[in-house]
Amino acid sequence: MRPSRREFVTWVAASGILLSTARLQPAQAGPFDETQTFPGIAAKQSSPLEKGRIDAFAKATGAKLYASDFRAADMDGWPATTAHALLVRTADASHIFAGLDLSVLDASARPTIVVTADDLARVGTRAPPFYTGDLLCPVGTTPLYLGQPVALLLFESFDAFDRARFLLRQTPPIKLGARTGPLAQPNYAALRFTRVAGPSPRAPDVYSPVMEGWISPGFFKANGRPIWEPLPLSEGGQYKRGAIYGEEIRAAIAAKDPGTLVLDRRFRTQSVDPMFLEPEGGLAWYDSTGKTLRLVLGVQSPLEASEALAHLLGQAAPAVRPERIETHFAHMGGGFGGRDHTPFPLYLALAAIFLPGRPIRLAYDRFQQFQGGIKRHAFEMRTQVAVDRASGRMHAFAADHVLDGGGLANYSASVAVVSATSAIGIYDIPKVDVTTVATHSRGVTAGSMRGYGVLQTAAALETLVDEVAESLGMDAITLRRRNLLKTGGLTLTGNPWTVSVRTPEILDKLEGHALWRERVQARKATSADTLVGTGVAVCAKDYGTGADAALGRVEVDPNGRIRIFCDAVEMGNGIGTAVANRVAQFLGRMADEVSVARIDAFDALGLVTSGDPYAITQEEQDAVSRDPRWVPSISSATSASIGAHVGTHAAAEAARIVLRFGMWPAALALWGIGQDDPRHFLWEEAFWQDGMLILSGLPPLAQEDVAAKAYAMGALTGAMAHAFSRWAWAQAAFPLGGLDWAADLDALAVRRGEGPFTVLDRSFIAFPPADYNRIGTSFTSSCGTLVRIAIDRKSGTVRVTDAYSVLECGQVLTPEVVLGQAQGGFAMGVGYALLETLPPFEDGPGNGRWNLGDYVVARGSDLPLHALEVEVLPPVAPNEPPKGMAEVVMIPVVPAILNAIHDATGHRFQALPVTPDDVRRAL
Amino acid sequence: MPVISLSINGRAHGPIEVRDDLTMNDFLREVLGMTGTKFGCGAGQCLSCAVIVDSADGTSATMPTCILPATEFDKFAIRTVEGHARDGELTALQKSFISHFAFQCGYCTPGFLNEGQVLLERLQSEPIPRTELERTITEALDGHLCRCSGYVKYHQAVRDVVLADPNRFLI
Repeated sequence: MRPSRREFVTWVAASGILLSTARLQPAQAGPFDETQTFPGIAAKQSSPLEKGRIDAFAKATGAKLYASDFRAADMDGWPATTAHALLVRTADASHIFAGLDLSVLDASARPTIVVTADDLARVGTRAPPFYTGDLLCPVGTTPLYLGQPVALLLFESFDAFDRARFLLRQTPPIKLGARTGPLAQPNYAALRFTRVAGPSPRAPDVYSPVMEGWISPGFFKANGRPIWEPLPLSEGGQYKRGAIYGEEIRAAIAAKDPGTLVLDRRFRTQSVDPMFLEPEGGLAWYDSTGKTLRLVLGVQSPLEASEALAHLLGQAAPAVRPERIETHFAHMGGGFGGRDHTPFPLYLALAAIFLPGRPIRLAYDRFQQFQGGIKRHAFEMRTQVAVDRASGRMHAFAADHVLDGGGLANYSASVAVVSATSAIGIYDIPKVDVTTVATHSRGVTAGSMRGYGVLQTAAALETLVDEVAESLGMDAITLRRRNLLKTGGLTLTGNPWTVSVRTPEILDKLEGHALWRERVQARKATSADTLVGTGVAVCAKDYGTGADAALGRVEVDPNGRIRIFCDAVEMGNGIGTAVANRVAQFLGRMADEVSVARIDAFDALGLVTSGDPYAITQEEQDAVSRDPRWVPSISSATSASIGAHVGTHAAAEAARIVLRFGMWPAALALWGIGQDDPRHFLWEEAFWQDGMLILSGLPPLAQEDVAAKAYAMGALTGAMAHAFSRWAWAQAAFPLGGLDWAADLDALAVRRGEGPFTVLDRSFIAFPPADYNRIGTSFTSSCGTLVRIAIDRKSGTVRVTDAYSVLECGQVLTPEVVLGQAQGGFAMGVGYALLETLPPFEDGPGNGRWNLGDYVVARGSDLPLHALEVEVLPPVAPNEPPKGMAEVVMIPVVPAILNAIHDATGHRFQALPVTPDDVRRAL
Repeated sequence: MPVISLSINGRAHGPIEVRDDLTMNDFLREVLGMTGTKFGCGAGQCLSCAVIVDSADGTSATMPTCILPATEFDKFAIRTVEGHARDGELTALQKSFISHFAFQCGYCTPGFLNEGQVLLERLQSEPIPRTELERTITEALDGHLCRCSGYVKYHQAVRDVVLADPNRFLI
């Protein structure tokens, strides 16, 4: 992708199609700043609201905000009426798809156009490489998975669409041919992670993935599963070396040693749905005269969606190939990973190009969202651990993960990596061997979802650790403390965590909490009707993906008003509020305008990229980074808990530069401090309080006076920045104020006064080394949870009566958002442990008959609403960067509940969810 | 086609022809363009679609719109999320939702707001003892699903409106 300098807010995709995004500016929904851009301190926000929440008014008053809210009539300059699209999916993946039978649709419900795979082939659309497989199943082939789309029906009136969707639910229009059985497809990934530590804690590793690279067996049995044992073949020598160490670890675990406790357990986790409240929906219009495709979307990955659309249509026939794609990204009614790299925008675009000239809406209902939306991977795990009986130290660990990726390629390989590299959780275990294989199946596609791999493995691990403690007669927290990975210790890939490690404090907090100290007395409350138990679990969750990019732009006007643009998206994560708070630390007031999901507002940077940031070699990186506009990745999805750490970073660094080279020189001028005065250099000691810039011994300066002076002086009033992290920030130096100014950025443009942004060539650049891609996890946050449960003996119902979660996330940007995420994560954890499940295959969501009611998520009455205590540890230092926390808060809830059930019943459940029927059977 | 007339947020709509199988949710969102009322499940399970129905006897209750036809609302007086604030002045409950950070993505907020408002109005005419407050709120809101918040702050927001004016809502 290369941004064009010819046209603002536009860049050119590899396909040659111009891509642009625009602010969503509905014609009839009031001024823009009441909807898609949130006014931080706008007039309508009265005093009780001035706590920094910038999306509050719009959400409390029902403003048009979400992609599903917009119709053609709401869009400025669009035709007034809206057509409607219906995506038809198949509930069968074992027979030939023989075509559509739409005879159930009478004249009042007949589509204007039916789009099939033949039509896609005819016009030459292409599925983006990320989504391997046909977007519509061709007639005469077996569907790749249950729920695979087979046709798009396009209706010019809502009534026809509405009647058709009802009739087709009663009478599915799929004609089946001969039985073929499900299609066999290759695995998405098969990897092995093996580490053998040196003979002493300070000694280098004998073998690790960081030292020798990641390995994959490359050999497969007839059933498609990998052969993990090293084969006596010449191929795969690199694999063989790691596999020999791995097999030695397994042999050692299997050896009968009376001094060693060995546990060998299997654990199964289920598929679930993200169940964000707003089903996926959007609006599109292909203006065939202007050759422009316009879309309103709600996705976690705006850049990916834009480029995927360009790929889809890049080689299409001239009649349907736009010259320009214009995207409007709206806020989302929840995401939880399920809107990251979703194929939804592709179907919306197809609907538009096959009904040119007519704005068309595609919006799933809940049945369709269950049938087609991205799911969490179901896992089968075998875990073995060897523990020294005398010390309680875990000295060897082996695990084998098999995860079901479903039918359309998505994030399965990545989930497999994250789960494998997190398999030993918060612990320091010197010998580890983990295999993982992500399989294709005919199930609904599995991809990103909150907890991403760690949720599954932590459930297996933390229940296993609890069992180890019980088997050794040791306190469960004491055992954890003896095995903790400490600062500087190495993870199973052979690298340390490079952020603060707070698990010792978290264990202390858990151990000192009344729920834990009084657990024995609590169990005595067990009665003829009720069993009572207490459980604990602790986990760490990575944040970031190892190649994360952020865009941030900050402007101050002559009155001190602040405007921010960033590429992160808002889906309930509070990113707009967080970035405004972070910028306010440097510029003295909350932003007046924060515009999110803006990948278009950074044209002046002139960024270019190439290659795969996860796979690039050092030589390639060194070569391309000589281009001062090159960066490894331009914009990331808002996922992987990167909002606080990455999503706010570029804007924060931009604000720091505006302070240093704009507001600070202005303040010096107002104070009359000259170059020779030592206070000239004390900008980092100055601070903002109540809108005043304060430096000890000098009169406070009003923020707006400083801004006005900056304008009067022609000082810096805006900065536009790009940042990249591969487990460390790229660092560059830029010519600013006569200095080589070093920053955790790799691209920078600045403006003075009202002038345009001017890009600065970096005078130095250090991208994180390419071999950091061998790291599994480097950035983690941790969380511990205690739960007290009561089990009704008669019904088997498990109720969480009291809970305590303690977490750490570095600098807390918005305490209320962090608390809300923790409470929401707790609820989702309870649902995953006790309520939510989707069967695989024909009985599962791919059959199109699933909805809420059958699928149960936690309600308020399922939770300890008045007995859930959340504690957030203060940062280790005031300037500790913010850490991701949105996922970690959910994870320990699950094993804590399982451990509490064991405490209450003596039974260990090793499959999720634990239903009342399961409990009754165990009792 | 049937013809319906109704009042929405104090404003008369209709008479207007609707299909007899058109849901009230689609009537609001597709016919009137009032998208503050959300669509979540189409099965009456999440209640993000709930609106307030004001009865002639002065009582009010919420009703889901996703599973009921628009004809069911003929002659009704209803309130939606768009109608709570007056001239930009938020209600006590809206302010409480905001000051508590009760919602995150906000998609379920219209339903919670309507349900909470109905509860507050009911408590005004039928006050309850303080000891029953938490249970009453839980029962009132329990039909509503939220996937982001864990419900705690919604409950606290409603409770704190009551506790800020106990003489009005409590015995």
